[in-house]
Amino acid sequence: MKKSTLSVRLLILSLALGLGGCFDDGDDGADGAQGPQGEQGPAGPAGPAGQDGQDGQNGTGNTAVYTVQITNLTYAQPFSPAAIILHEEGYSAFTDGEPASVAIEELAEGGSNASLLSEAMGSVYYLDSQAGSGPIPPRSIGNTYTLVVPELDVDNLRLSVATMLVNTNDAFTALNAMDVSNMTVGQSESFMAPTWDSGTEANTETADTMPGPAAAAAGGGGAAAGFDAARDDLFDRVHFHRGATTSANATDPSLEGLSTSVLTEGHRWDNPTAKITITRTR
Amino acid sequence: MRLNKVVTGLAFGLAASSFANAQTIDISITNLTHAQNFTPRLVIAHDNTVDAFEVGQPASTALAWLAEAGVIEDEQNAASSGQNFEALLGPEDTDNGSNTWHRFGGLLAPSMTLSYPFDTMDKPYLSLLSMLVPTNDAFVGLDSIVIPTEPGTYTYFLNAYDAGTELNDELNSARTDITEAGTGNALGGYGVPGVAGGGASPVPLGTGGTGVGAVIENGQVEDGTDGPVHIHRNVLGDTSDTGGASDLNSTVHRWLNPVARVTITVPAP
Repeated sequence: MKKSTLSVRLLILSLALGLGGCFDDGDDGADGAQGPQGEQGPAGPAGPAGQDGQDGQNGTGNTAVYTVQITNLTYAQPFSPAAIILHEEGYSAFTDGEPASVAIEELAEGGSNASLLSEAMGSVYYLDSQAGSGPIPPRSIGNTYTLVVPELDVDNLRLSVATMLVNTNDAFTALNAMDVSNMTVGQSESFMAPTWDSGTEANTETADTMPGPAAAAAGGGGAAAGFDAARDDLFDRVHFHRGATTSANATDPSLEGLSTSVLTEGHRWDNPTAKITITRTR
Repeated sequence: MRLNKVVTGLAFGLAASSFANAQTIDISITNLTHAQNFTPRLVIAHDNTVDAFEVGQPASTALAWLAEAGVIEDEQNAASSGQNFEALLGPEDTDNGSNTWHRFGGLLAPSMTLSYPFDTMDKPYLSLLSMLVPTNDAFVGLDSIVIPTEPGTYTYFLNAYDAGTELNDELNSARTDITEAGTGNALGGYGVPGVAGGGASPVPLGTGGTGVGAVIENGQVEDGTDGPVHIHRNVLGDTSDTGGASDLNSTVHRWLNPVARVTITVPAP
């Protein structure tokens, strides 16, 4: 019994010895955990320049440029600083036979273009405008003003201009929504403008009712003699001006003149009173 | 024989087309005033280097001769030689390069129309000038219109301008009781005061006026200037032949623009 047990033990031992090469000998440890990432290396050299991009398409924001110049054709009627407006069909500064707006009244009686221009800017048909930098003396060519409109609107373009004959009660010369559509670059057009009476003030031709130098020389004139909100003309409607009466021939047998007028025969005019030239420059 | 006919036809065709280029147009002028005669008409076909007058610009001496005395060329007034439009433009009825021009003679009375053929010699623009008499220096003007080339009839309305080279005294130049201030010269045409062409007025001028744009002082009146060129403010006149300011008649001599109608007819080729 002992013998048999021993032999089994030997067998197990021999088996254990015989299989020794197959068992882990314990010398090699498991792989260690991965180490921390190394520091970032220096930046590499710059790469070659990329190719040029393609040209963009034309936008829709191109502009057309116009210049406007006013010539005073009268002998002795300075023009107040003008209102120059480019707009689409639909806006008009005044209408013959209709009462004048207060803005036209202010321009025609007092020579102020401010209200007319600000009202125009409020119109949905407004494109651009310029305020004259000063009066245009009689018999002279005025400054050139530049106006810019979107090219899209070139095919529906109107020019309005208004300026007062300052040695009058309420006379103004104007272009009323003149069609200047489809002008080509370099093209120039001239218009001869007549004279309207705003119908807002009686033509008394006295020193205290006219703003210009003729009234000033007679002790009146200036802003105090300009705009007056009261409307005392025969008919409160814009109409063609009949001309100044003046004091000429007031005391001769003809009695043709207006003895209370501070105007002289030199302040008379015949139409046209203004030449307005518009040129498309771009 | 047959070949000759073809060649002839070709030559005729070429001649006809070159004739159409050397354009002869018909110019018809109507005086629309009540009592202002037009002096001989200066008609100029020209390029853009010629500008007979421009509003807002001073008048040339040539324009002063036309507007104060109705003079265009030496033949009318030898004293104008070297200063008139003939001197400015070159010989009459000649292609002067920049222009060709013609004087259509005689007075054109109120309400009358005259027509003339005019060879434009291919110049692109047309101008026309004539003095209004009796005035100091008023003229009717057509300023550089583009000459139409399509056959048809084209109408233009012309304004009266003041040359600005003489004050509008409206004094009868036949008067001997007044002279030019400073020189003592008699009144009359170019370079002196007074209304020219008084003798050509449809109604006689007065004689006792004291002056309008310039006033008589001690029997003298200044010549003066009131330029540059501008739209004429019209004569004043008055209703007295023996007094008042003017020797013109306010019920007769005044006008309103337009003062002339010009009709251009381009014939069918």
